[in-house]
Amino acid sequence: MATLIRNKLSNAATSVSNKSQAKVSGMFARMGFQAATDEEGLGFAACDDLDYEHRQAVQMDILKTDDVGVGATGEPMAEGDSHYQRDGTGPPPSASKDDGMCAELASQDRPKITAWEAGWNVTNAIQGMFVLGLPYAILHGGYLGLFLIIFAAVVCCYTGKILIACLYEENEDGQLVRVRDSYVDIANACCSPRFPRLGGVIVNVAQLIELVMTCILYVVVSGNLMYNSFPTLPVSQKSWAIMATAALLPCAFLKNLKAVSKFSLLCTLAHFVINILVIAYCLSRARDWAWDKVKFYIDVKKFPISIGIIVFSYTSQIFLPSLEGNMQKPKEFHCMMNWTHIAACILKGLFALVAYLTWADATKEVITDNLPSTIRAVVNIFLVAKALLSYPLPFFAAVEVFEKSIFQQGDRSILPNCYGEGGRLKSWGLSLRCALVVFTLLMAIYVPHFALLMGLTGSLTGAGLCFLLPSLFHLKLLWRKLLWHHVFFDVAIFVIGGICSISGFIHSMEGLIEAYKYNIND
Amino acid sequence: MDLNRFKPMDSTRVLFCVFSILAQILAEQEVENLSGLSTSPDKDIFVVRENGTTCLMAEFAVRIVVPFDVLALNGIDLITEQAQITLPRGAEIQGKCGSTEAELQISWINDAYTFRLFFIKEAHNVSKGQDVFWKINKIQFVYDTKEPSHFINAVNPGKHTASSHHLSALVTPGGRSYECQAQQTLSLISSDHHKGVTISMSEVRIQPFDIKSDFMFSEAYKCITDQREQLEEMLPLILGIILALIIVITLAVYHIHQKMTANQVQLPRDRSQYKNM
Repeated sequence: MATLIRNKLSNAATSVSNKSQAKVSGMFARMGFQAATDEEGLGFAACDDLDYEHRQAVQMDILKTDDVGVGATGEPMAEGDSHYQRDGTGPPPSASKDDGMCAELASQDRPKITAWEAGWNVTNAIQGMFVLGLPYAILHGGYLGLFLIIFAAVVCCYTGKILIACLYEENEDGQLVRVRDSYVDIANACCSPRFPRLGGVIVNVAQLIELVMTCILYVVVSGNLMYNSFPTLPVSQKSWAIMATAALLPCAFLKNLKAVSKFSLLCTLAHFVINILVIAYCLSRARDWAWDKVKFYIDVKKFPISIGIIVFSYTSQIFLPSLEGNMQKPKEFHCMMNWTHIAACILKGLFALVAYLTWADATKEVITDNLPSTIRAVVNIFLVAKALLSYPLPFFAAVEVFEKSIFQQGDRSILPNCYGEGGRLKSWGLSLRCALVVFTLLMAIYVPHFALLMGLTGSLTGAGLCFLLPSLFHLKLLWRKLLWHHVFFDVAIFVIGGICSISGFIHSMEGLIEAYKYNIND
Repeated sequence: MDLNRFKPMDSTRVLFCVFSILAQILAEQEVENLSGLSTSPDKDIFVVRENGTTCLMAEFAVRIVVPFDVLALNGIDLITEQAQITLPRGAEIQGKCGSTEAELQISWINDAYTFRLFFIKEAHNVSKGQDVFWKINKIQFVYDTKEPSHFINAVNPGKHTASSHHLSALVTPGGRSYECQAQQTLSLISSDHHKGVTISMSEVRIQPFDIKSDFMFSEAYKCITDQREQLEEMLPLILGIILALIIVITLAVYHIHQKMTANQVQLPRDRSQYKNM
């Protein structure tokens, strides 16, 4: 019974219009009463009555903060639904949250985010710190690098959309219903006949690695930037990393995506300020731009690393299922994806091109090294702010993945729930989050050559989660409904993603081995 | 008496008793080369003893960079090459100790190279009284460009002297030894066309005056770079402890807050849902 209810709940959690549901039930009711000569027909109608009532009640409960829910039940019912008259008030909203069933309700009880807030989150994910390495990529790649920036944006936008399409399935009425809730669910559904849990485990592990590595990278970057900004102080990089972690400790108290969206908004603002500063400085030197230096050929040895930087900077697919699930109007998702990726593409392309034209062959790996020291100091401060403000999103996503996979198994949970009554965080759930923050700090301090290691894991997990898996799942789940060009795109993306992943992996391994040898010889 | 630090010194005591018995000439000064006891391969230990007790002890690793001219391939132009010279084991040591002045002289390869350090002890009058300190006030390095192992095809080979001008280095309060693990660079001007000779010293531990007992350094005075490095290494520990305290306090406060407010929340158990099952 509990699983039945859970399935019904996950169906009902989207904002499906009540009218169509009423129509369905009305149709059945009509059929039931036309065959009403026997008791069975009546029985079916009564069952449907209870089912519909239950779904209504649950929807009222879930959408009690949403005007849609209240308004829908107040709407006049379609004809034939006279048996389903409801008064305006549904059953009183239940506030008690028991384990298991209430775990689902608790996650759905959080305030929904608007499309703008989802956009800030996606922008936080795709316009990351790697934008500083883009002019160097143009140095070695020329026009091909610029083309890749645009192409990668298009591909990642497409894979994001097909990933979300995997969450939906058509029900009997031809309406799209959200049957799956997360990346793990999609993976489980794909492997379901033979290995019902294997896909979910793989995706969980990949997601966790990617998210935790991103968090650690932000700590490392902020420590490094502060150390380079104040070399005269006796504060080493480790000390700066510890101070950054102390500033990030309040992230352990994050409860929902709305709070995270506020941080992402500030992060995006910081990013805009950095872009404007650098572009304005480059424009002030517009007379010296070296238009003739943009190459048509590529530097075969150094460009593959740049490919990695360009392509994997658009990775936001990990966050998309939970973002879309928390949106007030999921229909705006496609529009939001388009606009965020267009904006990212334009900004990145402009930044890379303008910065490269200003310094041409002298462009360094991180463009801030080229800037004069006063602007560099200001840009560094904003970069540190951006790194710290970008941390909440992957941290929150990692915490969610953790809690869903280990602590919210419902009847099967071995460990107690992290959330107590009223959806409040229990103190041991808080201590787990603090432990995660401290873990990212320890990894940031003690793991050497972190950037190379991140390149290694990024080319495996990042490429997998962003290119390989979405196209694979899309092909497997929606095979019958795909048009030929969709199939072609999916296969092409799978192949290209595989190539990028393998080349990134090889170069990162080479870089790591070289760095390790250099360290040993030193 | 820091016995833990100077384990080799115990064995050297025995060694020196043996040495002094074997010494044929009762010189006023005995100089010892203890380089075999040094902890690292580049570091050398030099001791000057006088009247049966140590009066000057020095321990350092030094690298001297000397520029010299060679003929270019065209036979006319001069190219400046650089020779890197380090102190070998078994160098000859001579020294002079005094109450306010001391000198350490190290020479090797039959006096082809000579390295001299001059120490001076001074006192300044300050408001509290007398402030005594010692420092190096002169360094001299004599090298012979005829020597083939370091100088290859030098033009106009001969002996040259590189000296310091107005040098005031390793300033240490009186009665203490100077210690600096970080590298220090000093510049000398050579008599060979005023070329610049660079001396890099690292892992330095020197005491030219007021050695209280045999082969024992007095209290160490660390150089500024070392002090900064010590601070840099201690700071992460302190910050880590502070962070751990903050986390523990936050968790405790949250836990107590939860326990206190838990009694006030009386959630009505809603049984109306059951009828739908």
